[in-house]
Amino acid sequence: MKQSLSHRLLIWAGVAVLLIWSLGPIYWTLASSITPTEDFSARPIHFFPRHFTLDHFSRLFGIDIARIGGVQVWSQFRAALINSIVTSVAATLLCVAISALGAYAFTRIQFPGRGFLFAAIVATLAIPGYAVLIPLYRIMISLHLVDTYVGVALIYVSAYLPLSLWLLRSVFEALPIALEEAAQLDGAGRLYIFFNIVLPLAGPGLTAAAILTFLGAWGQYLVPLIFSPQATKPLTVLIPEFVTKNFIDYGLITASGSIAIIIPALVVIFLNRYLVSGLLAGSVK
Amino acid sequence: MTIAISAGGRSGRGVGVKADTMLGILLVSPILITMAALVFYPIGRTVWDSLHRVNPMQAGTPFVGLENYTRMLSDGPLGTTWVNTFVYVVLAVVAETVFGVLAAALINQVKVGRQWLLAAVVLPWALPGVVNAVIWLWIYQPGAGLLNGVLSAIGLPFENHVWFNDRTSAIIAVTVVHVWRMMPLTVVIVLAAMQSIPAHLYEAARIDGATRAQMFTLVTLPLVRSAIAVAMTNATVNAFNLFDEAWVLAGSSLETRPVLVQIYLETFQNLRFSYGMALSLVITLVSLLVSLVYVLRVYRNTRFD
Repeated sequence: MKQSLSHRLLIWAGVAVLLIWSLGPIYWTLASSITPTEDFSARPIHFFPRHFTLDHFSRLFGIDIARIGGVQVWSQFRAALINSIVTSVAATLLCVAISALGAYAFTRIQFPGRGFLFAAIVATLAIPGYAVLIPLYRIMISLHLVDTYVGVALIYVSAYLPLSLWLLRSVFEALPIALEEAAQLDGAGRLYIFFNIVLPLAGPGLTAAAILTFLGAWGQYLVPLIFSPQATKPLTVLIPEFVTKNFIDYGLITASGSIAIIIPALVVIFLNRYLVSGLLAGSVK
Repeated sequence: MTIAISAGGRSGRGVGVKADTMLGILLVSPILITMAALVFYPIGRTVWDSLHRVNPMQAGTPFVGLENYTRMLSDGPLGTTWVNTFVYVVLAVVAETVFGVLAAALINQVKVGRQWLLAAVVLPWALPGVVNAVIWLWIYQPGAGLLNGVLSAIGLPFENHVWFNDRTSAIIAVTVVHVWRMMPLTVVIVLAAMQSIPAHLYEAARIDGATRAQMFTLVTLPLVRSAIAVAMTNATVNAFNLFDEAWVLAGSSLETRPVLVQIYLETFQNLRFSYGMALSLVITLVSLLVSLVYVLRVYRNTRFD
């Protein structure tokens, strides 16, 4: 269809609005993180930083604190960054591994109660996390798992398992069964087939499941607020702590926010195809 | 003869089937153990404890029947938080659906660089909710924030406007952050449905002389209706689950407090565990019932069309 000039202008205007809406706040965070604190309240507002500074990042990373002054946050920040990475990575690996094994069994192997169990697990997608948080808190206390990597990672696994299982089962179901049957005729065992034929073909599905689990765990707030108060406190719990009653340190907030943005942004830039397919599969539960 | 062969075949396979069954159970057992311990048991426990008085500050857990549920009816602050939550749900679902469908239609028209545009649109969804909230906290900041800066730059009297002083603007401010984060989901779902509409339908509409607006309302919208319902269901459940944005932007302020923050306060500050559990069950049921309404509506519409 031939596009008239006015129609094309309308589309470009719409695209501009959409980009400003989606990226504007992120741009503003990045720009503020390299703006000196003195310039924050400069009016009229400057959309591009007039002076450049890395002071906020220096404070975050504990470099040259003596010159800049201010509180020492590097040890807290480093711990939170490590905690976020450890718990999210551990939860992702564990979740994808056990849901891949389970999804294969739910797709290709007959065992009693298969349909019922699958339905029961996927049905929990409809139940929001907080409906189980309080008993979970008491279980974790009795197991001495509050504020440990194991405890938090296990909660993330249980939260993202149903979605990952649902996604991977639909991926496995779509694989041609002829390949597996041929391998079976050649005498290959179930596990050999799973690891050497099914898994390599399911790469995109595994990626989608891993991305959704990772981003979900990386962004969790309420769960670590309760289960990771001190030693395993992640970035999402640390960053709002820079907001105190009397003083909000916007330099630290925008700098630490920029760092928390990096990983999700890389995922969206390089793996968006898988992310979108995962979101679609997850939404139609 | 045939019977003997098939019987022989079956018993021969029998061992394999049995081993297969065992393998199947073995492979799903990690999932079953995790889900049983961390989801199914806690759900049952939530239901059970909501009928008891569970409070770490008080000895014993006596059975109290439906007392935790009846108490909700006379809980003043709770009523306010329900109103807030319903306002969030209505505002967020309407905004996400209207703007999300428009954004999807727009992206569907873009031929060059569509995947980059989609990546930019999806980015807010991928960020941690708390980070989104602090980003907007900085934008809403009265003295140095971007919003007041932009408004005063175009000559409006907003130099030091405090957005969280007034309930209406505070609720809208929280909703905007939530919509910013959740709208990408609607866009992704609706865009996928739009991309699956066959091109010949538009061709036929064009030959019949339909305008672009007519094509959108008569071809596109009816065909993406079930996708819109799916998106609205997700939007509804997400809006009922609003916590991070309200908590970071306005703390425990009653004016913006959603039910979920109320549950958090009752449970982990007032230590009324069982009351918190009864509340979480009620909000779960309400959010599922409201979502069910759209699903049924769409189901009925598509059946009688």
